[in-house]
Amino acid sequence: MILGDLLDARVTDADGRGLGFVVDARFALDGPIDGLLAAPRLHGLLVSPRTATSFLGYERNGVRAPALLARWFRWRHRGTFLVHWSDVRWVADGTVVLRAGYERYSPGLTGTAPQQG
Amino acid sequence: MKKVLGLALGILTAIGGFLDIGDLVTNAVVGSRFGLSLAWVVVVGVIGICLFASMSGRVAAVSGRATFEIIRERLGPRAAGANLTASFLINLLTLTAEVGGIALALQLASSVEPRLWIPVAGLAVWLVVWRTKFSIMENVTGLVGLTLVVFAVTVFLLGPDWSTLADQTFHPGVPANEGRDVYWYYAIALFGAAMTPYEVFFFSSGAVEERWSAKDLAQSRLNVLVGFPFGGILSVAIAACAAIVFLPAGIEVSSLSQIVLPVALAGGKLALAVVIVGIVAATFGAALETSLSSGYTLAQFMGWSWGKFRRPARAARFHLTMIVCILVAVGVLMTSVDPIAITEFSVVFSAIALPLTYLPILVIANDPEYMGKHVNGRATNALALVYLVIIVAASVAAIPLMIATGAGS
Repeated sequence: MILGDLLDARVTDADGRGLGFVVDARFALDGPIDGLLAAPRLHGLLVSPRTATSFLGYERNGVRAPALLARWFRWRHRGTFLVHWSDVRWVADGTVVLRAGYERYSPGLTGTAPQQG
Repeated sequence: MKKVLGLALGILTAIGGFLDIGDLVTNAVVGSRFGLSLAWVVVVGVIGICLFASMSGRVAAVSGRATFEIIRERLGPRAAGANLTASFLINLLTLTAEVGGIALALQLASSVEPRLWIPVAGLAVWLVVWRTKFSIMENVTGLVGLTLVVFAVTVFLLGPDWSTLADQTFHPGVPANEGRDVYWYYAIALFGAAMTPYEVFFFSSGAVEERWSAKDLAQSRLNVLVGFPFGGILSVAIAACAAIVFLPAGIEVSSLSQIVLPVALAGGKLALAVVIVGIVAATFGAALETSLSSGYTLAQFMGWSWGKFRRPARAARFHLTMIVCILVAVGVLMTSVDPIAITEFSVVFSAIALPLTYLPILVIANDPEYMGKHVNGRATNALALVYLVIIVAASVAAIPLMIATGAGS
């Protein structure tokens, strides 16, 4: 699998209900040392409920300027959440299916407490 | 002393490098039809390009990343691919116009048919791109391009009625014999001529080529903020020359020989020779920049190694892209299509494509992860948002206006 298979893919829960689209993938650099850097590990996927277009980086908490653009992109992507890769049951034909009882995390980069609702 | 010289060189190069075939043709056409009543657009365009170039230069200097690397990363492969296709094709159109401009200028100097000059011009562009050092290439074409100052001198030599020119400039309105649609169509063309996207690809990739770092920011900002406005003054001078000579006679500019006619009338053979040298330098410089931009955009998107600081064998696909683009430009021109017509389309399409590169640069210039303490300030962001609205409005309005006015005819 390559990253291109995941980006823009539809996301459904275990019952087949649509949850949105994969807009980004998040990696953690905590694998074994591979050359100079730690090998990246796929930590989770960012799922946006309404649109498969890019979030342009505004999902991170520290980026708030220019305020009008930040507000617009946050509004377009309202309800975006992070799911851990371990909560993905399978991926096939451009669809990502999550396992039952998956957890929604805040998409912000600092603080990954489970999101309300 | 060395620093002062470097600064002067940078500013002079920015002035000489500002003008290209798009500015020459569009300003002359607009001057002959609307006088100076669209001069305000040049002011809007120059402020815009200063803002855009200084943001993209700052992003490149601080993060070490050029425009299309950033677009690819932020927009993802699909949206960035669509963006690349549009930007690349419009850049190719501009390259074609510039090579045609070289040939037309050489025709003026030699009376030899442009189709004989086109392959020579293409070959010369390729040789320079292949062999010459980046800094030499930039400085020589920029400095020789300064001879276009002769347009500003011509305005004084023609002894115009200054009150008429001032009235056109400060009380702009649609002339009686022109439609409102056509006026706004040319406003967009002029805006696109001042803010061509290739200038930004080139500027940001050039910053990487010349290994700028955060400490070169002050100089690069000064080059842009002083050099481009002077370039803008030359643009207005070209329009003024056409407004003085052609507007009262009701003649519409449609060839390069008409663009230089006011200079020949006022300054004679010597001035004509000087202006032809200037046009060759300006179009040649812009042809180099657009050739390089074609390589930069594609290579940065695909992740190929790029840059003139590498030997061609080390950046083979980058150089191959440029060779193919130059060949396509030469091939298109050899069909006898009018380079002036290509230029008129290329500036409008430049305006259409502008939001594609402007938005990602604006977003990155605000990203503390890339920019650290060099993120946009509040004032810059306020201005940048105003320009985002202008750029998007121009882009959206361009095609309907093009259809409604029959491309300004």
